[in-house]
Amino acid sequence: MKANSKKSFNSNTLLLVITIVLFCVLYVGGCIAYGSKGFTHFQTFLNILITNAGLICVACGMTCVMLTGGIDISVGALIAMDCMMLAVGMEKGIGAVTMVLIVLLVGVVFGVVQGFLVGYLEIQPFIVSMAGMFFCRGMTAVICTDQVSITEKINATFYKWANTKVTIPFGGYVNNKGKYMAPYVRPGVIVAILVLIIIFIMLRYTKFGRSLYAVGGSAQSAAMMGLNVKKIKMGAYMLSSILCSVGGVCYCLNTMAGSVTQALGLEMDAISSAVIGGTLLTGGVGNVIGSFFGVLINGTISSIVKTNGKLASSWPNILTAALLFIFIVIQSIFAAVRARRK
Amino acid sequence: MKKRLIITAVYMLMAISLCCFTAGCSSRPQNTEADSNVKEDDLIVVGFSQVGSESYWRNMNTESMKSVFTKENGYRLIFEDAQQKQTNQITAIRSFIQRDVDYIVLAPVVETGWDTVLSEAREAGIPVIIVDRQVNVSDDSLFRCWVGSDFELEGKLVCMWMSKYFNLKGISPEEIHIADIQGTLGSSAQIGRTNGFNQMSTLYGWDVVDYEEGEFTKSKGKEAMSNILRVHKNVNVVYCENDSEALGAIEVLEASGKKCGSDILNGETMIVSFDGFNKEARECIADGRISCIGECNPDHGPRVESIIRKLEAGEEPEKYQYVTEGIFSNTPEIKSVMISGQERTVTVINDQNK
Amino acid sequence: MSTWKKIKSWPLLLPVVALILVMAVNIIHDAATGVNPLSFFSISLRETTTNGTILYGRLIDVINRGSEIAILAIGMTLVVSASAGTDISVGSVMSLCASAMCVTLAGYGVSSTTTLAKPLVIGLLAAILMGIVCGAFNGTLVAHLSIQPMVATLILYSAARAIGLLLCNDLIVYVRNPSFAFIGSFLGPIPTPIVITAICIAIVSVVLKKTALGMYIQSVGINARASRIAGLNSKLLIFLAYTLCGVFASIAGIVASSRITSADSNNIGLYLEMDAILSVALGGNSLGGGKFNLAGSIIGAYTIQAITTTLYALGVSSIQAPVYKAVIVIIIVVIEAPPFKAFLKRHSAAFASKGV
Repeated sequence: MKANSKKSFNSNTLLLVITIVLFCVLYVGGCIAYGSKGFTHFQTFLNILITNAGLICVACGMTCVMLTGGIDISVGALIAMDCMMLAVGMEKGIGAVTMVLIVLLVGVVFGVVQGFLVGYLEIQPFIVSMAGMFFCRGMTAVICTDQVSITEKINATFYKWANTKVTIPFGGYVNNKGKYMAPYVRPGVIVAILVLIIIFIMLRYTKFGRSLYAVGGSAQSAAMMGLNVKKIKMGAYMLSSILCSVGGVCYCLNTMAGSVTQALGLEMDAISSAVIGGTLLTGGVGNVIGSFFGVLINGTISSIVKTNGKLASSWPNILTAALLFIFIVIQSIFAAVRARRK
Repeated sequence: MKKRLIITAVYMLMAISLCCFTAGCSSRPQNTEADSNVKEDDLIVVGFSQVGSESYWRNMNTESMKSVFTKENGYRLIFEDAQQKQTNQITAIRSFIQRDVDYIVLAPVVETGWDTVLSEAREAGIPVIIVDRQVNVSDDSLFRCWVGSDFELEGKLVCMWMSKYFNLKGISPEEIHIADIQGTLGSSAQIGRTNGFNQMSTLYGWDVVDYEEGEFTKSKGKEAMSNILRVHKNVNVVYCENDSEALGAIEVLEASGKKCGSDILNGETMIVSFDGFNKEARECIADGRISCIGECNPDHGPRVESIIRKLEAGEEPEKYQYVTEGIFSNTPEIKSVMISGQERTVTVINDQNK
Repeated sequence: MSTWKKIKSWPLLLPVVALILVMAVNIIHDAATGVNPLSFFSISLRETTTNGTILYGRLIDVINRGSEIAILAIGMTLVVSASAGTDISVGSVMSLCASAMCVTLAGYGVSSTTTLAKPLVIGLLAAILMGIVCGAFNGTLVAHLSIQPMVATLILYSAARAIGLLLCNDLIVYVRNPSFAFIGSFLGPIPTPIVITAICIAIVSVVLKKTALGMYIQSVGINARASRIAGLNSKLLIFLAYTLCGVFASIAGIVASSRITSADSNNIGLYLEMDAILSVALGGNSLGGGKFNLAGSIIGAYTIQAITTTLYALGVSSIQAPVYKAVIVIIIVVIEAPPFKAFLKRHSAAFASKGV
């Protein structure tokens, strides 16, 4: 029994190792190929974090949902709705802190509804979250069809948050205009890293975190163990929507605007990050650290394509989808091997 | 078993990295060949973040940039297609900063949300030139120049042409029942063209029967036109805010048995529109189905290039620069239209030059 | 009582009721705005300068514009029935097929053309071939690698548009040729898309009636293992369902692209996967697989289009419309969810006992 669990542990860590190695290979490869084009700057790496701060939060939530064997494709649209709410709310004169709290509350409510439909009414997660996706996307347009921006005039606090630079004392360079460019991150990155650490600890050490794994491994045996499967599933979706709202705030700090087309296709990035990071689609196996590296891999791919500057812009999409495909196939091979072993 | 797994995994990894790098390096050998003529260091590097390729106009705009910023002219252009996503543009500008470009040219997908990234560019000392749509930033010094169209003037020009035509044919303002198929609400082109239209229609006393949103697309233009026809049977002039909408409107009008043309006294419906670079629309204007098109000039490249040349020479170029735009029509009677002291010529489009 | 039960068990109850509801909304809206209340149903012949005499009317408009959804709904019904999952890549595959066709017809890198580089048939074949390839890709993932259908199709959902853009060299390819535009315009007085849809429906219903294919697919959907034991090649059947779905997506793509005589990779088929899934659900089919009802799906498809048209007529903009559709989906799936049904049963039993 013990040996068996150790073996499956090995194949799961193998997935994580593949992910980390792949990231290193890609990044070092990028540095060698485009070292002269500024790829080696420490800032290039930090830019990946800045751009994907929102995605990191979302990917953490997605991992939790996928651990239970579900999926949540409403995240991209929810982010668009969050951004629009932030922008319109602040335009109406509501304070930044209040608005962020409202957005988080909306995340909770939205998550509870989705979780109720999936957990208690046993509707397929995909259908529920797809309806959720269209609902949010349409709702964004109902709130406002225009692009609304958050300027200094509208809300000075939020503007200050967005323009805060957290500079890092090492790793700078002098650009060809003779200016010293100190590496920096934006507050969103710090929020994202905090979320990552909190969710990592939660999944490892709390009862709720471990019960997510149990439900995903086998809902039946989890129920036999005395876990309230419905409640846990609902909790997972709630968590995903809250983290998505946190991600939405980070995202909004980056774009400072609300518009209907924002974060289009972000759900795809979040899912592929989680899958590339070793989260099994069938549930029960996964880790937010893996998802974090999944985000970094996606970011590196698009960075390489951007730095090259001569490739068609559709390449990142295609490569991400190709990676997703490869990892899904690896997963299904692992699953087949495991099934045969049993 | 485990061995096989690891081997599979390693193969997969190799395949992935190979994939990425063949993609990454595929365009390199050709470059080095072309680069050998001109020394890389002498070139001015321009990073251009384009909205996408959503319309024919956009493609022409991209072409205009690409044809000006060539190696022969002493430039290296890094072109980024943002596929109509703002985040892609923000990322693109950050990567331009990392690549140490000399100038950044931005055709923003939306007007807002640029403060942060433009201030990053300013801190790196890279001048930013905005083209086409404007940006709405708290501090105007975040960008050096803006190049684009004066949409309100375009709207006024077309209305001036119409009024001149009506005068010529002796059609009184009470007989004009005009509907406006608007562009995507809130876009600068829509706001400008609608404003121009509103001012002029009030000035001339035309009967404006309806405003419908057409989102700058043919399919939405069709829907808008059917809605207008359902409620207002007397419409005889349709003011479409771009060519795609006009083509949709024509299809609906013709499907409902009406004829499109300038002869509104004899039951024809007059279509006026904007852009003028869509082949189909140019054919329509040549055979008279569209009466007049206000030009929306996509040729921004030379303007931007002259700004960069001025900046290189240490001069201060004018902040807001409008491209010159005229009018297309197939009516030879009206040669030009005067607006705010300037004369704009009317280019006659017929079967030869469509 | 027995007639009531008969009506209640009629498989087309849900789609027909929904369709009647939508029409009622239209009649009320027309009456309220002072237009002839029956204008929704009026069909007339109109003379046009470009297409000769054509049928004209809002009903025709709904049936015409609903063509793509109806064609997609056929494929989607089969997929849902066989694999208990939906193919969310149909919209993107439509766009990819349209791109493949237009690039074949115009030549690579050409952004606008009036003359065809290759005969029209080759372009159509290219599109359908692309549809088969995409469908087969999805089918292999679902049937042979046993990946959840929605995740498997998610790959093409995101990649297909990007590949389409790559094929088109990041341009919108315009093919302004009358023989190509014909597919999206009129055949005599009838809009060609309607004819194409009718042919598709006819072929599929004949095949399903004359062969046992429909029954096989349903049995695989009800219990894949049992039907394998019974001698059916369930993997092949699931694979076939996805391939067919790809083919129908390509036909829908051809129609959609011919309507606008171009391949607009970013916009063709956008959000149509939602409409297709919605029409299957609205058609009274369980999204959990098994028994299917093609007629229901098709009525569902036109109902969706009628809803869309009505929403526009009521002044809801196209980007706001998804809210209403999402609410409709949720209502339908909640009504069909077993726990909800059980809850209702318990509740009505309690109510009945109290009443007595």
